[in-house]
Amino acid sequence: MNRRRIAGAVLAVAAVTVLGVTLASGMQRASGDTTPAATGPVTQARTGAAPPLRGRTLTGARFDLTTLRGKVVLVNVWASWCDPCRQELPVLAGAQRRWSADGLEIAGIDIRDNAESAHRLLTELGVQDLRSVADPQGTAAVAWGARGVPETFVVDRAGQLRWWAQGAVDAAWLEQRIPPLLAAS
Amino acid sequence: MRLRRLLLLAVAAVLLAAAGTAVWRSAAPRPETAHGIAEGLLCPACQGESVAQSQSPMAAAMRDTIDQQLAAGRTPDQVRQFFVDRYGEGVLAEPGYDGIGILLWLVPLLAVAAVVLIVLRQRRRRPAAPPDRDPRTPAPPIGRARMWDTVAVAVIALVAVVAFAGPDHDSADPPARAAADSTSSLLTLARSLEGQGRYAEASEVYRDVVAQRPDDRTRLRLAFTLLRSDRAAEAATTAGQVLHDSPGNTEALLLLGLARRASGSPDATTTLRRFLKAAPDDPAAPEVRRLLARS
Repeated sequence: MNRRRIAGAVLAVAAVTVLGVTLASGMQRASGDTTPAATGPVTQARTGAAPPLRGRTLTGARFDLTTLRGKVVLVNVWASWCDPCRQELPVLAGAQRRWSADGLEIAGIDIRDNAESAHRLLTELGVQDLRSVADPQGTAAVAWGARGVPETFVVDRAGQLRWWAQGAVDAAWLEQRIPPLLAAS
Repeated sequence: MRLRRLLLLAVAAVLLAAAGTAVWRSAAPRPETAHGIAEGLLCPACQGESVAQSQSPMAAAMRDTIDQQLAAGRTPDQVRQFFVDRYGEGVLAEPGYDGIGILLWLVPLLAVAAVVLIVLRQRRRRPAAPPDRDPRTPAPPIGRARMWDTVAVAVIALVAVVAFAGPDHDSADPPARAAADSTSSLLTLARSLEGQGRYAEASEVYRDVVAQRPDDRTRLRLAFTLLRSDRAAEAATTAGQVLHDSPGNTEALLLLGLARRASGSPDATTTLRRFLKAAPDDPAAPEVRRLLARS
């Protein structure tokens, strides 16, 4: 009888542990919207080859990411209907001016937007120099694994993904991550 | 008594048959549609909504991706794998059959088995009650008290296990997601509609947002979308209200002027001149000057 009771207790503990681990694994699943914390973008180091990105830019030119191999490429997912993008786009334009001679290229993915609104915003912000691939269906952004706007991916000179940021990046974020990649040959 | 038992058995048999049919039907192979695949994926930008249900632009982009991939001849499994490769296992609404996924499938089954086992054991024990006990004295409450103790300990243990095995919320990274509030998701929807040029629909959504949060910025978006959907009089009223609350708001002045102009009001020119005087360097100023020169 005593042995049965011990076996019962062991079984009960095992059941509680399994149930607890199950619930905990559920809690580990990400949930919620993509609003980043006030302290800055949520950043993760990434590895692996950058997904392809090719298409027409907002000005109608052809774009293919593979032609930029050898450069550090910052891929930014944005849209004219996204409020934080308004603050972020001038920061990106500043980064382009500052580091383009050292090998930085900036490529936007303008998702689920109409070209007119996108042009209007770029003109309003004075950042018409920023090149963006028009992605009216958002499928290019999905291929990059974007979860919302704005999001930023950084690709190194070898075409490998290095960083992924959810939320608007700022000058400090760029300062911390871009120069080391530009310095690497 | 016998009849009651038979009835219970019949009910149990019907329930089992229904459950079996449901399992068989859901497991039976059937052609999967794009909508079916979207229902099996969780929208990464939303809270507990599937890609099929969500109104968010990202979910719409994912639906278009599914269509595109199916049109390119990919199988539903390949499409799902495409999303798992980019968003992780968590994008699947149903857990997988390996790793922690198998646990999520097994736990409910084990729980049911445990309950059945306990019930059967209790039933077997019942006739073993001491026959010499006086029926007037109540049964000693120790057994029941012990049971409640066990339940309490189990609950505490469960909470402890969840607390230890759960994610660490004090990590250095800020929390990835803030709680979604309905106003902000409505606002995203309205902006998305506006971005797609669907001004009439966007204005309806902005109106709902303004009802909950009447800030100047949203009211001006409402005025703008009303103006673009040929409801200039309403646009003028909304812009006028913003201007009344914030007399220095030049955007409100601009929208009021444009709305008055669109509705043929004689005050339009005066209002637009006031705008030019207040904000001569506004990006819209050259266009307004052109409009005034034309009229």
